[in-house]
Amino acid sequence: MNTKSRRFLAVDILLLVGAILPLVACMVLKVLFTPASEGITITGALVYFTIPTPVQPLPITEAQVNSWAVMLTILCLCLYLTHGIAVRPGTKRQLAAEWVVEKCKNMVHNNMGDYFAGFAPFIAAIMTLSGLSSLLSLLGLFPPTSDMNVVAGWAILVFSLITYYKFKAGPIKYLKSFAEPVPFLAPMNIISEAATPVSMAFRHYGNILSGSIISVLIAAALGGLSNLVLGWLPGILGEFPFLRIGIPAVLSLYFDIFSGCLQAFIFATLTMMYVSGGFPQEDYEKRKARREARKREKLLAKTAQAEKA
Amino acid sequence: MQTLEIISVNLWQILISLANLLLIFLILKKFLFKPVQKVMNQRQAEVDKQYADAEQAAADARQDKAAWAEKLAGADDEAAARLKAADATAREHGDRLVADARGRADDIIRQAKNEAALEKAKAEAAMKEEIVQVSTALAEKMLEREIAAADHQQLIDSFLDEIGDAHD
Repeated sequence: MNTKSRRFLAVDILLLVGAILPLVACMVLKVLFTPASEGITITGALVYFTIPTPVQPLPITEAQVNSWAVMLTILCLCLYLTHGIAVRPGTKRQLAAEWVVEKCKNMVHNNMGDYFAGFAPFIAAIMTLSGLSSLLSLLGLFPPTSDMNVVAGWAILVFSLITYYKFKAGPIKYLKSFAEPVPFLAPMNIISEAATPVSMAFRHYGNILSGSIISVLIAAALGGLSNLVLGWLPGILGEFPFLRIGIPAVLSLYFDIFSGCLQAFIFATLTMMYVSGGFPQEDYEKRKARREARKREKLLAKTAQAEKA
Repeated sequence: MQTLEIISVNLWQILISLANLLLIFLILKKFLFKPVQKVMNQRQAEVDKQYADAEQAAADARQDKAAWAEKLAGADDEAAARLKAADATAREHGDRLVADARGRADDIIRQAKNEAALEKAKAEAAMKEEIVQVSTALAEKMLEREIAAADHQQLIDSFLDEIGDAHD
């Protein structure tokens, strides 16, 4: 550890600052832009400015900015964890990085099988992005996951992955799968297919948003209760909401930390389940074998022709 | 300050968020999974190599041990055989030496005996001569006359023979 060069340390510090600075910047931005308000308000994300775009104007909101900040943080953390990585692990951070990688790979392997081994970084991406986004509420920032658009984007990406892997067995097989077990259930199947991304998005977004709302409501209620019970105290003591001290923190433990991590985990698990569950392994292998056989026949025919010529 | 409605759908925001997730996937893949995987694979290769080396070394050692044990067992036999051979050659050599020495001693003794016999014969002859001269001188004196040496030679010889015989 003592042999670390000054340059190494400088890069380390730079990376750590890079991981923390975006979040601090977000907080500053929020403080600068938040209007002084009295009482409680339950609103969506703050709109910093709006870019005129076709179809629909694009408002750059807290949700966007915060998720970019989270991405920067993740990037810097990745670089920090793998900085100075060596075959013989000398640093704790390398052990941490290896632990994370191993855990993700094991989880993906256990849930999805060998064919989907390449999904490990994707699942890790969902977990880190969703988890850290939800945990932003601990810093008093707007968690991007409580904006439906953010989670809907992820759900649509997952849905396209599900459909892509269902298509692997051939488009006809894919279309046929809607007419099972009986053809007249096709509308139901289509609805349930479309419901997958919608339910994923709403589950995640609703859980985080409802957590925030309940936190705000309880904080407000505790303020009112405090006024009612301790209002007789003289001067400023009567106005100070004593009951708001401590109690919301316990609730925050559940709504911000537990719920945030749990929703990230659920989203990742559902992704793994849907993608690997929708993938028709046997049909895919049959199709692959058929294709290869056809290719071989073609090749044989070609060589035969060439010999004739 | 303007805020969004709690439930608002915006196509662009959805697309941005989708792209964000893809980007994070790529970032994690490139900056976390790839380097860590590389290092772990290298470590695995190193460990495998070490194990293979260790097994090789153990096998070599076992082979060496067997070879040396065999050699050691052979060495005892060899030493015994060599000792026996040395013993035999030594005994043979000694026997030859003793036989040689005995032969030479016999020769020396025989030679000495011969020489002694020769000396004795010589001495006897010389004594006879002297005695003849002495007796002649004695007889001349006793008889005070000239004795023809030739006449009495026979007499003296017989006398001397008698003496010699008696002396022998």
